Amino acid sequence: MDLWRRRFWILLAIVVGVPLVIAILLAMRFLPDRPVTYANIEEHFKYGSTGGERNAGFPYWIWKALPVIFKDRLPSTGGQDYETFGMVYEVDAHGRRNDLPVGVMKRRNLGIDRVFVNCAVCHATTVREAPGKPPRVIVGMPAARLDLGRFEHFLFDVALDERFRAAVFVAEIERQAGRLNPLDRYVVYPAAVEIMRGQLLMLRHRFSPMHLEQWGPGRVDTWNSAKAGLNFDMNRVPAGELLGPSDFPSIWNQRQRKHRDDGRQMQLHWTGNNDEVGERNLSAAFGTGATPSTVDHAAIGRIEDWLLDAKPPAYPLPIDKTLAARGAAVYKQYCANCHGASGQDFSGEYVGHVTDVDLVGTDRTNLDSYTYELAVSQDTNYAGTPYRFTHFRKTNGYANMPLDGIWLRGPYLHNGSVPTLRDLLEPSGCKGSAAVTRPLTFYRGYDVIDPVKVGFISTVAEENGRRFSLYDTRLPGSHNCGHEGKGYGTELPPADKDAIVEYMKTF
Amino acid sequence: MTAWTPARKRWLTIAAVVVLLIVAFGAWFVWYKLFREVPEEPWQADAENGHSAADVRFMYGSIGAERDAGIPYWILYVLPRVFPDKLPGPGGLASFGLPWEEGKELPVGFTTKVIGIRRVAQNCAACHTETYRTGPKARRVFVPAGGDHTFDLEAFFRFLVDCAKDPRFNSSRLISEIELSRPPDFTWVDKLLYRFVLIPIVRQRLLAREAKFAWIYRHDPPRDWPDWGRGRDDAMNLTKYFLTTSPLDDTLGPTDMPALWNLRKYRAQQGTRMNLAGDSWDANSVIIDSALGLLSAAPPSNEKFLDEVHWLNKYLDDHPAPAFPFPIDQAKAGAGKAVFDANCAACHASARTGTVVPVAEVGTDRERLRSWNKDAAVRANDAVKAFGIDRKGLVEADPTGYIATFLDGIWLRAPYLHNGSVPTLRDLLAPASQRPRVFYRGYDVYDPLDAGFVALEQQASRLGVSWEEVTRTGSKFDVSLRSCGNQGHEFGVNLPEADKSALLEYLKTIVKPLPSW
Repeated sequence: MDLWRRRFWILLAIVVGVPLVIAILLAMRFLPDRPVTYANIEEHFKYGSTGGERNAGFPYWIWKALPVIFKDRLPSTGGQDYETFGMVYEVDAHGRRNDLPVGVMKRRNLGIDRVFVNCAVCHATTVREAPGKPPRVIVGMPAARLDLGRFEHFLFDVALDERFRAAVFVAEIERQAGRLNPLDRYVVYPAAVEIMRGQLLMLRHRFSPMHLEQWGPGRVDTWNSAKAGLNFDMNRVPAGELLGPSDFPSIWNQRQRKHRDDGRQMQLHWTGNNDEVGERNLSAAFGTGATPSTVDHAAIGRIEDWLLDAKPPAYPLPIDKTLAARGAAVYKQYCANCHGASGQDFSGEYVGHVTDVDLVGTDRTNLDSYTYELAVSQDTNYAGTPYRFTHFRKTNGYANMPLDGIWLRGPYLHNGSVPTLRDLLEPSGCKGSAAVTRPLTFYRGYDVIDPVKVGFISTVAEENGRRFSLYDTRLPGSHNCGHEGKGYGTELPPADKDAIVEYMKTF
Repeated sequence: MTAWTPARKRWLTIAAVVVLLIVAFGAWFVWYKLFREVPEEPWQADAENGHSAADVRFMYGSIGAERDAGIPYWILYVLPRVFPDKLPGPGGLASFGLPWEEGKELPVGFTTKVIGIRRVAQNCAACHTETYRTGPKARRVFVPAGGDHTFDLEAFFRFLVDCAKDPRFNSSRLISEIELSRPPDFTWVDKLLYRFVLIPIVRQRLLAREAKFAWIYRHDPPRDWPDWGRGRDDAMNLTKYFLTTSPLDDTLGPTDMPALWNLRKYRAQQGTRMNLAGDSWDANSVIIDSALGLLSAAPPSNEKFLDEVHWLNKYLDDHPAPAFPFPIDQAKAGAGKAVFDANCAACHASARTGTVVPVAEVGTDRERLRSWNKDAAVRANDAVKAFGIDRKGLVEADPTGYIATFLDGIWLRAPYLHNGSVPTLRDLLAPASQRPRVFYRGYDVYDPLDAGFVALEQQASRLGVSWEEVTRTGSKFDVSLRSCGNQGHEFGVNLPEADKSALLEYLKTIVKPLPSW
């Protein structure tokens, strides 16, 4: 009897105990969900999680392996790995490059570290005061160097490459990380590669009718991306709607954007299609993979709170005070009604209101890419939660923006078609010829500020092997027309134009 | 036989209690997750869109269709995302031309109610809310009780069936899409319920509709067999094949979705009839029959159902038609009144208004008449009686002609004639041979000059509307197809231009029913 009793207990231990131990071990490995967090809010913004990794996150080691395996598919802009897309790496006190670029977040999820882009990838970049000066990362400014379209294009491309398979990834990961344990080597990474390829192919299918390669640095086709995210049949989107890129915006001073002269919130986004800051933020967070099921409201809430009062840095070079004072008067007369009394005071009768596209006359493709059908479909986002979208509206123009930190927001107009503020004060040349016009073509993606014309230097094609992107205003979605004529200051004498530009450095 | 020892009895009692508890819990669970009805919140007025609380109830309030015709919320939610290739265009459910107010979770006419789980069904407003814009840049105006001219109901019917027929309509695919948008309250219990119960049942139910839709799913349709297109439905055939199970009879009679305002104008005892061919006795009957169509089953409670019908009837009795939103030349309209009195009033502002005019007299397309008959009316009346619902009902006679319509809000009821075959009032005043033979329906920018929606290229260019957009969003209407003829009603077509123009101006002013009783 004793023998049988012992056998029973042994059997029980084998049948129940062993699976239990294995289950506990697996649970410890695969269940934890821990974001990498930062106490410092700017660090949190640059590297902190929005929750999107749970949905879209690349396994960290696949992120590391991708640019090595597919080096030949990286754009030939002259940088290393993700730098080729205009992502920027910070350098520590010892001159060592950070492991992840600014705007890439990390979370332990499903048993591996997963990384994905966060808000900062599109809303932070480097600026230099002069070619010889060190680059400075500024948070909240538009990522003027980031070529998001080519980054997406790269990912969609590699998913079709024959090298996108487990054996190749495991070999490269083991080269970088050392030998993997059998679970990772034979189960986790092979599965991850398959899942990721499936996801990329799905996204490729949804996004492929869009013209990703025509966005160029600093721009994104927000609304066509939103349509693809809702899985609209992009093949049937009319050609005139299919390319509506616009510049990444700056995202400081959100609190002041909650008020305009008539007591309502300002109309946000370039087309003014939403007037609720929180909803706009959640909408933008889709870009970081944060869907209703993965979004980390607490983490995003920290960023939102900080953005309410985050300020752009002061202009770093000397400002001609007398000239600026003269410019202030002209600015007040020509610009303040639509763009705010100053870079700090956003009051003005039309600030945060939409100006009809036929009045402002700027490129209408971004406006046309936003449709009524999209607006009402967006109202289904976050259904079943208190966050459901309710504020999207189809508009017929572009919103008049406050100009805080405008010196960091070049090139100008919603589609980034005018390299500097001083150029914006010249006529476009779209309506007949003029002696001086805005540049027909220029370079984007160079991070040295233009101390005279305000914006970034746009005449440099290459520096130290790094190549910049040619912007051609004759291409669809890239026209530099509009925002011109008497009321827009393009008929002022050159001295007045210079003065306005000098004054706007104080923003 | 073993004896019933006390120990045994005790065990048996415990076992019985346990079984009972399990059964009770199971019953409670089934009730809670599939049958528990949560009442709707009270309706609030909507200042942004200018709707009263009653308007909002009409537009979004449940008429009780969720129980049998309702689709679980999350299934309907993901269908456009899983099957974009089956939609009329890129744009989710909105691409069906549904009236949809910006900021709202669902289109007008889509109701949502928790019966165990959250379900979505339709009410009258999906087909009876009109949208218009005063120009390509103007905001959409939503007019409850108007006749919807933008919604492609047939395409929506087909979409649901086509999705169910597609291999992608399976639990794994739908649930993985639901999980992308999963709200916190989509628990694992809901997931199991969706996976093993709801998705398979909904699929079966949608598939079962296909046979009844055989006449819109004909594999070998005659060459002249048109789609209904935007803003039309084949109402009498829907009644025949869904309320009763009449055999297919090769008829086709799609007609415009009618406006439902000022229903008090119908006086059955004075000879008015309802529906375009006078097939029904009174508003109460029409509302009951249409609502039963939306329920697609006997009401769970006749009392509640009839209360809702009563509310709808009361709301629609006195709901006014909207005023013309553009300037009107009052002097010209005054002159037009005289033209109207001399040429139109005999039918449209007299005791004859609202009564049947023989088809030989009006001369319009006859197909709609062929789609209904006495037998069908008898069968439909019997079917409703079998539900225990008492109403005056359908007229048990073959239809002989079309109703001389009341003209309240006629400006917004384009396109014209019962089958919507004439795009504008101005075109209606032209001889049939000069009316447009091909045009587009369902675009919502209004043309105040010709009184109708933009349907032709010349209107688009005059109003600065993109013709490409009109043709893309609208459905093409070809008067040479079956049931689409634009002949007939050639009254006043020989008036001098000045008189026509004045008459047109007067017609824009009519918002109250004529004659005033």
